Amino acid sequence: MALVTARNVTKRFGALTALQGVDLDIRKGEVLALLGDNGAGKSTFIKILAGAHSQSEGELRIEGRPVSFSSPRDAAEAGVATIYQELALSENLSIAENVFLGREITRRVLGVPFLRSRAMRERVAELLEELDAHISDPAAPVGSLSGGQRQAVAICRALNLNAKLVIMDEPTAALAVAETRKVLALTRRLAERGCAVLLISHNISDVFEVADRIVVFRRGRKIAERERRATDPEEIVSFITGAHPDVRALEQANL
Amino acid sequence: MNLRRILTLSSRELTLAAACLVAIIAFSMVSDHFGTATNLTTILRNSVELLLIGLGMTLLLAMGGIDVSVGVAMGLAAIGVGKVLAAGFGALAAALVGPLVGAALGIVTASVVVLGRIPPIVATLGLFGVFRTAIFLWLGGQWLSGLPTDLTAIVSSSFMGVPLMAWTIAAAYLVIWVALRRTPFGPHLLAVGNSETKARLSGVSVRKVQFSAFVINGALCGLAATFYVATYRNVEMSIGSTLALEAIAAVVLGGTSILGGRCSLVGTVLGVLLIRILQNGLLLVGVPSLWQTVVTGGLLIAVLCLDALSGRMPVSIWRRRPA
Ligand SMILES: Nc1ncnc2c1ncn2[C@@H]1O[C@H](COP(=O)(O)OP(=O)(O)OP(=O)(O)O)[C@@H](O)[C@H]1O
Ligand SMILES: [Mg+2]
Repeated sequence: MALVTARNVTKRFGALTALQGVDLDIRKGEVLALLGDNGAGKSTFIKILAGAHSQSEGELRIEGRPVSFSSPRDAAEAGVATIYQELALSENLSIAENVFLGREITRRVLGVPFLRSRAMRERVAELLEELDAHISDPAAPVGSLSGGQRQAVAICRALNLNAKLVIMDEPTAALAVAETRKVLALTRRLAERGCAVLLISHNISDVFEVADRIVVFRRGRKIAERERRATDPEEIVSFITGAHPDVRALEQANL
Repeated sequence: MNLRRILTLSSRELTLAAACLVAIIAFSMVSDHFGTATNLTTILRNSVELLLIGLGMTLLLAMGGIDVSVGVAMGLAAIGVGKVLAAGFGALAAALVGPLVGAALGIVTASVVVLGRIPPIVATLGLFGVFRTAIFLWLGGQWLSGLPTDLTAIVSSSFMGVPLMAWTIAAAYLVIWVALRRTPFGPHLLAVGNSETKARLSGVSVRKVQFSAFVINGALCGLAATFYVATYRNVEMSIGSTLALEAIAAVVLGGTSILGGRCSLVGTVLGVLLIRILQNGLLLVGVPSLWQTVVTGGLLIAVLCLDALSGRMPVSIWRRRPA
């Protein structure tokens, strides 16, 4: 059974339709890549999954149960962890504070939740170790870290949620080659652990390296869905650019 | 707990402490009266309300908020305290009325800002107008004066040689320090100050944080009102008219960012002391009291300019940081 089932998901921002009737299944243990041109609606779709937007129409189910998230907190509690394109880290807070923001480990004394800072720092050190990320000063504010290091912090956050679905919006866009390799390896490892991973990327070769399945959005619609083994970069690119005959036919029909 | 980190002051705080010292030395050289124990005690006494309100303002600025109605909120709470005193309900009731009325006003402010989604500077300016008139109407055009002495004990009594008011301020400081540095409230507040959107995406209950900060701020204004009435035993029409400016100036002087995301409680205390030392000293050397607000306003503008020039703040403060 699919972990996440999306049916007829539509999102309008005023007069603009950013998503139109998207049907999509995401399975456990797979890396599903979501591709599409700028403005195709990828970020909008994942923001609905993550509880940051609510859909105008359509239904979402997780493990068969209909869900409706009214905040990112709801989505996190349902096991959806999201690494946003714009990362959503608080630059003025430390790594540990960011990793645990909104779900701190606390010990209640007389009803007051006191932070267990040491426990959180130790957990973060473990996670960074697991990620093979080298950060000299974990107490430094995240604003002073490099792009790759910030990406690692965002991934720590997702790992720490023990999520069923990890969504990554262009996780390697700002990274150098070596760091990109690490993030891709990690993406596979998450899937092997049984997570479902939804990966958004503009880099076709990265996608072909890690994805099990590929979905293409264009102008708010899902226009193609392929097993990686059953397709090639050329075909996917032609879907993205709209050069593929199927896309032409579809767009003719919708005019 | 790391004692060293607690005792370590930032360079901003050290500068401010040095400024206080320099001011004290300079005024002592010009005025014979300035350095006397009586006068220094007066300065501390005059700092009580501003210290409490400054602590609340620190929380608000740290989360990217502000409240320009703190002075009149204190005024309203002070009338509450005065009326309860005058009606003969006794010291305990009168003392509690301050923080209670303050917290209630805090809930009003929080509701307008948070539920009404109105920028705090505009919302509290509107409330300033409302509270101002409420003070006038409630006082009925007449000062409360010559109130009963039931609350005088708060001013005169001390514990282990330290006045009760100082203990209360220390307790308020400690509670806020613990909330900021030892509970999730601290990182949540600073995350909201950095970016509401990012804080929300990270699972912070932004509205809860904003609501709490405004209510705490209101309760502190009310506590200040209790001390005010206990000391002066009267409530005049113009009560608290300079407090908002002074509180914002003290907090910004102390190194809390006017744009949110960074705060210093020690800095706020030092900022309050510096403002009160300057006001007292200038008065003693013969500067008319009319100039006090000019000095405070000038300090606020000067420190914001210096911060902008030294890169502590984004170049343009006209546009908020992008979310
Ligand atoms: N909050 C919003 N309000 C109004 N319009 C929006 C909003 N968010 C996105 N849009 C619009 O919806 C459309 C889809 O945007 P989206 O961010 O989902 O694209 P994307 O596929 O993620 O693109 P990119 O590859 O550039 O990240 C765009 O036309 C965008 O302008
Ligand atoms: Mg996007």
